[in-house]
Amino acid sequence: MAWKMDNPLYSLSDEQEQQQILKMWGEERMGGLIHPANNRLPFPLTFLIALIILTAFMLTMPIWGQRPTAAIYQTHVELMNSPEVQKLATPEEKMKFINNEAYSKADNALKGQLERHPIDWYDLQNLAPHIIELQKQTKYPLDNFTVLGDKVVLANFEGNFRADGVRERKQPWWDKGYTIDVFYVAYYCLWMFIMIKRLPHFTKKPVTT
Amino acid sequence: MAFKEYRLGAAMVGGALGLSMCITILMPSFDLRSAVSTKMALEKQLSAGFDIGFGYADPLLLGINRPITVDLETDPKTGAKLDPPIRAYVYKPGVPMPPNIRHPHDLGKGVQDLSESQGQIGAVSGSNHSKGSQEGVVFTLALGEFNGEELTYIENASVTKGWTPDATLAAAGDKNTHHISKGKTEFVVQGCWWCHTLLPEQTQDWQAFGAPPYLGDFNGENPTAFGSDRKAPDILHVASRNSSREWMMMHFFNPRLVQVNSIMPRFDYLWGDKDAQGNTIDYDKWRAEYKEYSEGKRTYPPEVPDYAPDSEIRALIDWVLSLK
Amino acid sequence: MLLKYLSAKNEDIPPGSAAIFFGFSAIFWFVVGTGLGSFNAAKLAFPDFVTGTELFAFGHMRQVHVLAVIVGWISMAFAMTMMYMTPALGNTRMWSEKLGLWTALLWNVGLSSALISLWIGITSGREYSDFAWPFDLVILFGVITPLCVNVIMTIAHRRTQGIYITNWFFGACTFMVGIVLLVGNSPEYFHLTGLSEAYLTWWNAHNLLGLWITPVAAAIAYYTIPKLTGNPLYSHRIGHMHFWSIVVFYSTPASHHLMSSPLPEWLKSFASVEGVLILIPAVAFVANILLTMKGKWSMFVENIEIKFSVTGVFLAIPLNMQGGFQQTRSINWFIHGTGWIVAHAHLALLGMSTFLEIAAVYFGLQQMLKRKLYSLALANFHYWFVLIGFCTYWISMTIAGLIQGAGKIYEVPYIDVVIAEHPYMIARWIGGTMVFTGNLVWLYNMWMTARVGTLVPDGRYAHELAYER
Repeated sequence: MAWKMDNPLYSLSDEQEQQQILKMWGEERMGGLIHPANNRLPFPLTFLIALIILTAFMLTMPIWGQRPTAAIYQTHVELMNSPEVQKLATPEEKMKFINNEAYSKADNALKGQLERHPIDWYDLQNLAPHIIELQKQTKYPLDNFTVLGDKVVLANFEGNFRADGVRERKQPWWDKGYTIDVFYVAYYCLWMFIMIKRLPHFTKKPVTT
Repeated sequence: MAFKEYRLGAAMVGGALGLSMCITILMPSFDLRSAVSTKMALEKQLSAGFDIGFGYADPLLLGINRPITVDLETDPKTGAKLDPPIRAYVYKPGVPMPPNIRHPHDLGKGVQDLSESQGQIGAVSGSNHSKGSQEGVVFTLALGEFNGEELTYIENASVTKGWTPDATLAAAGDKNTHHISKGKTEFVVQGCWWCHTLLPEQTQDWQAFGAPPYLGDFNGENPTAFGSDRKAPDILHVASRNSSREWMMMHFFNPRLVQVNSIMPRFDYLWGDKDAQGNTIDYDKWRAEYKEYSEGKRTYPPEVPDYAPDSEIRALIDWVLSLK
Repeated sequence: MLLKYLSAKNEDIPPGSAAIFFGFSAIFWFVVGTGLGSFNAAKLAFPDFVTGTELFAFGHMRQVHVLAVIVGWISMAFAMTMMYMTPALGNTRMWSEKLGLWTALLWNVGLSSALISLWIGITSGREYSDFAWPFDLVILFGVITPLCVNVIMTIAHRRTQGIYITNWFFGACTFMVGIVLLVGNSPEYFHLTGLSEAYLTWWNAHNLLGLWITPVAAAIAYYTIPKLTGNPLYSHRIGHMHFWSIVVFYSTPASHHLMSSPLPEWLKSFASVEGVLILIPAVAFVANILLTMKGKWSMFVENIEIKFSVTGVFLAIPLNMQGGFQQTRSINWFIHGTGWIVAHAHLALLGMSTFLEIAAVYFGLQQMLKRKLYSLALANFHYWFVLIGFCTYWISMTIAGLIQGAGKIYEVPYIDVVIAEHPYMIARWIGGTMVFTGNLVWLYNMWMTARVGTLVPDGRYAHELAYER
């Protein structure tokens, strides 16, 4: 296992070892299955793999498919019993008014959330008591709760520790799962790199007999 | 690559698999072990008992050696009226204890402490946990406070209230007796779960099928039998939508009686040979009459026979109706 | 015929005996498994078909179909290919032909009794590991362990210097599947409960596919394609990349099967990234095999084994595209628990994996029997029936799944979804029945090959000879 580190992108094994391997490959008989199979990873393949790794992280970002938190309906609950809403006749009209109001007050991130998690009048009626109840407690802010069915429960995310020692229940930027993934993928890439670069460079072909 | 590196390669396979198992099994096991049993979990666990699938106590899955769930309107010991009625879980002598009586840690923080200190679950008399206790045990659920939080815990009513299995069953009467454990075994054996899932999804379908389960709703359950291939409505909360025993009977006997487009198989064979009055059920006659009905030659379908009290269908309906 | 060798000395058993035993057992279980599948599909299409008997109820038959196909057909076909490819690639004999024969015998006996007990309702109630745990132990220690020992010892006693990629897969996968069965069934062995039980059930199910069925099927293609085309494998490097990414990525995303359960969120985040990364081995595999085909594409039309193999590789493309993306949070909520998943599972097992195995069993049985295939016409009939039957099934179930998903999010009453799915249920039954018919023909064709196929002269390959029928 003679290693050569001066040009790692070319090869990690020294010339003598490369020759040994090539000689062995030349002599190896496996029914013609392998030699001279010292082809490189085609560039499109390397590109695809990079693309897959990128896609994997982008596509599974927490913003996609995340369940709604109780905080995004806060405005809805406030408006629900307001005089303006009570004036309106049908649930559809009421909801349209509330949605428009809530949407116009929202910042960009919240707008996206509201678009992905529409709510109708009857669901709002079910949820509102839970949300009002939660607004009375001070331990967790509303965005630490997930809307789950017609109930609101504490999310099971593990976030940053607050100053008072309580752990936040919202997805942190360093979500444990993603962090492990980063290390895991890095470990794989490093191992693949070493393995491939320990093989003779692809320009060298075994001599077949 | 040089040949000695093959040995390294083999070690790396082991290392990679080991690392992957550390992340996917060891690490989540800490999270899962810290789940605190909810009331739903305790109800499911006590009514189901130790095994639902294959086990020593019931290797052929016939529904024997199972706990029985009863609703008590009177106290089995004193005869005093209980208002509201109390649900009790009767473990006759020899019925294996529920999993978390054997492993109280899995009840979760708080529930374990309350069940042990207030509920006396450690004092199951003459108990060999896998074979059950010699005198039998009656469990109930109770509410208690732990560190300012209200929690439901398991109470060993045989110790705290002196209820014995026989007296409890007698006090309840057959009408208030539910063979929920046997019923869940039927659910697994008859393969109901290949179409009816037990897991409303967290995203959209709770409007139709009720709230998705929370962490801690499963403690002590084996198998959870979520199902993966839904070809029929989710039934985790079916009894909240429909609690009619008569509807269930017709639907199980021949689903097309209540829903012409249903693709559910008929489960008439679960009625067995005899009906509630002990008469032999004439399936051929029933089918012939049903055929006439479906061809429009009869106005009404034939009557669905009443099931015998010890029939499999009774247990299955008992279980379905316990799914609130 | 082969049973007489069970008590013979290992040296006296002709090489290939175990492969032949395994090969015919596998085809037999394939016929049984697809027959059950067709029967079950008929019950879904016509609910009053064979009704009112406990044993023939859908709920008693469904899991028998699944496990007959996975443990009977697919795994035995794997064992069959291991019994002839491993020694061929090591330029040696099987470490113990006798152990192989005994494994095959125990496998058939154990599987039959396990399936009968499952059929009458003795089950653990855990999907993909439905057998009661004594049968799990028989499969783990009576079947997988001896197979693993035999394969790894054969590789260790090879007379070549290198280990070809196929043997890397064989050795590692037989070992890893043992670990999976040991750990994945621990809820039964140690009576684990609750969410741990649910999670380990799917950890087991996922890894059976990820560390056994998918990689071994691919390993088979790494042998059959170069062998039959005469082209050397395009790149050993890519092969190794495939192998390592299987071990690293495919063993991790188990929790993506339970995206809508209350598992820890970090675990789901982790799994959904890893789930997309499954595309790395997939891309490596497909690229490597298709590049190997260079210059020999005419064989895709002319040669029946290549026809099956390359079709299997093509089916790996949609399989992995679906598999990679359908498990992310953003897509899973739509298709989870619908017929889409059923279609996907059949694409993996009946599509990609089965096509690769059929090719290897065709090739291996001819080699080991030293007889030319009885009839090309029947083989082509088999190919087209399995392919058209499978596609009918796959497409109809995919559409049914999309209907179901839409019904789920738009809160359509469930019964309307059932009505809308009905035509696709009938199509599913027709597709399944075609596959079954094709397999019956295959069994006949293979049986006739063993009886009256033309003898292949020493030193020649069966595929080099012309067909007579």
